Amino acid sequence: MSFIEFKNVCKMYPGSKVNTVDNFNLNIDEKEFIAFVGPSGCGKSTTLRMIAGFEEITGGELYIDGKKVNDVAPRDRGIAMVFQNYALYPHMTVEKNIGYGLKNMKMPAAEIKKKVDWAIHILGLEEYRYRKPKNLSGGQRQRVALGRAIVKNQKLFLMDEPLSNLDAKLRVSMRTEISKLHRELGATTIYVTHDQVEAMTMADRIVIMKDGVIQQVGKPMELYDHPVNQFVAGFIGSPQMNFYDVTVDGTSVKFADGSILTLPDDVAKKLEGGHSGEMTFGIRGEDIKLVDSTEAGKENVQSAVITDTEVMGNENNLYFEFGGSQSVARVSKYELSQIGDRIYFEFVPAKVHFFDKDTGVNYMEQ
Amino acid sequence: MFTKKQRRINWILVAVLLVLSIFFLFPVIWMLANSFKPDAAITADMNSIAAFIPPAPSGSFFDNYVSIITNTSFLRYMGNTLLYAAILIVLSIIVNGLAGYALAKIQFPFRDQWLMLIIMLLIVPTETVITIHFLIIAKAGLLNTIVGYILPLIVNPFNIYLFRQVFVSLPDDVYEAAQLDYCGPVKYFFTMVLPMSKTVVATVSVFTFLNVWNDYLWPSLVFTSSDLLTAQIGLNSITSNENTTMGQTLAVITLVTIPVIIIYSLFSKQIVEGVTSTGSKEG
Repeated sequence: MSFIEFKNVCKMYPGSKVNTVDNFNLNIDEKEFIAFVGPSGCGKSTTLRMIAGFEEITGGELYIDGKKVNDVAPRDRGIAMVFQNYALYPHMTVEKNIGYGLKNMKMPAAEIKKKVDWAIHILGLEEYRYRKPKNLSGGQRQRVALGRAIVKNQKLFLMDEPLSNLDAKLRVSMRTEISKLHRELGATTIYVTHDQVEAMTMADRIVIMKDGVIQQVGKPMELYDHPVNQFVAGFIGSPQMNFYDVTVDGTSVKFADGSILTLPDDVAKKLEGGHSGEMTFGIRGEDIKLVDSTEAGKENVQSAVITDTEVMGNENNLYFEFGGSQSVARVSKYELSQIGDRIYFEFVPAKVHFFDKDTGVNYMEQ
Repeated sequence: MFTKKQRRINWILVAVLLVLSIFFLFPVIWMLANSFKPDAAITADMNSIAAFIPPAPSGSFFDNYVSIITNTSFLRYMGNTLLYAAILIVLSIIVNGLAGYALAKIQFPFRDQWLMLIIMLLIVPTETVITIHFLIIAKAGLLNTIVGYILPLIVNPFNIYLFRQVFVSLPDDVYEAAQLDYCGPVKYFFTMVLPMSKTVVATVSVFTFLNVWNDYLWPSLVFTSSDLLTAQIGLNSITSNENTTMGQTLAVITLVTIPVIIIYSLFSKQIVEGVTSTGSKEG
């Protein structure tokens, strides 16, 4: 039995005619780390707040640990939450912020001290123990917020974009800390983020949402390699997948600029069953392989002129115009070309995707 | 760094402010200096600079003050007023604070209209409703009681508005975090909202104190028993007594002014912050 179960959960705000979260069905196992990702307004935070009990569930049922919680107060749901803006108590010291919940639980003072000491130690907050939140940096405040969540020994942690206010470097280190804490404490964690890198690096499974509807649920690499639709394909991965308007006729794929790609039989076979005509062709930047100029003119060898480059250190992104669209190829650091250079490349046949032009459905994953 | 021109302007400003403050301080200095003198000396010094200089300390230096303290009940009146102010400060913070919190953070029908009504009450002068207050208190049999004096003064639209303007900017996620920390709404108000809003609590306390301390009309209507009188009424009865000397009058006025000066000196920052925060943006 799942630890958390959503059964057709909906949320409609007063005055609205559409569901902000629509028919949400999901099972989450105990000790799982699950990330809700999606663009702003997709309903991920609303879903999290419905789990917390801060938003009323207007349709469907939500079960936590086998118990229906639709009408259960937040404090009785057995959850701990880390907020985007930390939500620390500004007039209390670090120590008191962490221990406040335990004090309200009427825990003996000695036990509170023991738990607070443990949290302060595990989060490296020893020297800030008696400081108030205004005298802490963003990273330290977020650690206090984490400390407040972990001391209560709850079985479910909810995290609402907890790293979005931190700088890039601190975000990376806090990501590691949160993952480590999850492994050590073994609590089920639901993590909301708009940053797909956070979701990919931390979560056991990712739920991708758009307009209040789940688009796909799966392990990070499942979503990356096998997106069910164009939205998921475009949302996961950086740089974004390249998309081209194409016309497919049997094994032949014609791009808007007239370039032709001949598909191998196994790929073409997947498209059989009436999938022909106009559609969207997708390929990730790293699945565009540079070839030597001596290969020019051979079948499936394309060429383009570099319009921009991004040097990332370990790899390079090469930008060019192809097939009527701006494209990007992700190449190794040894393959750096200059703006204006002509490059020759191939698409890795096993990694191509074809999406329905209207619905965005990925024909290759059906 | 100031430029030469800016420095010159600053000096001129300081000089103007200094002259203005001396101008406003004249009556206070005169009162303080003469409160230590016998009437004969006050009259003799009246038309000279000596009117602003206290006499040299001697055995009779505090005579006017000693006479007021020993021969009248003025200290008791001051004590009464301090007690009423203390009770009203506590009740004002609780009642107006809760009302302000409801108007800032709780959704209920016609909330904005309620707020508008409360803001409109700000323009109604106290004197216009004092008769109604008096009739209600008299009908309830509460004349000449502390409860009767305090009851109509607890709810104050200005304080409600002050609280509301500060509470509206408090982050909602702190309340949500507190809920998960097993903190109920009442406990949240007293242990989170009020400590997070120290400035407005201080402002309301100061305003309430000053209102009670300076109020003459309402206590003069409610109280007839001399045991319950406030400092302002005491001041009036002492100064209007024909046996009271001019020195004693000045001494009693000085005594009644001292707490106000102390409060203003200690809390001027909070008073300014509290009033300016009413213009804060809605969060």
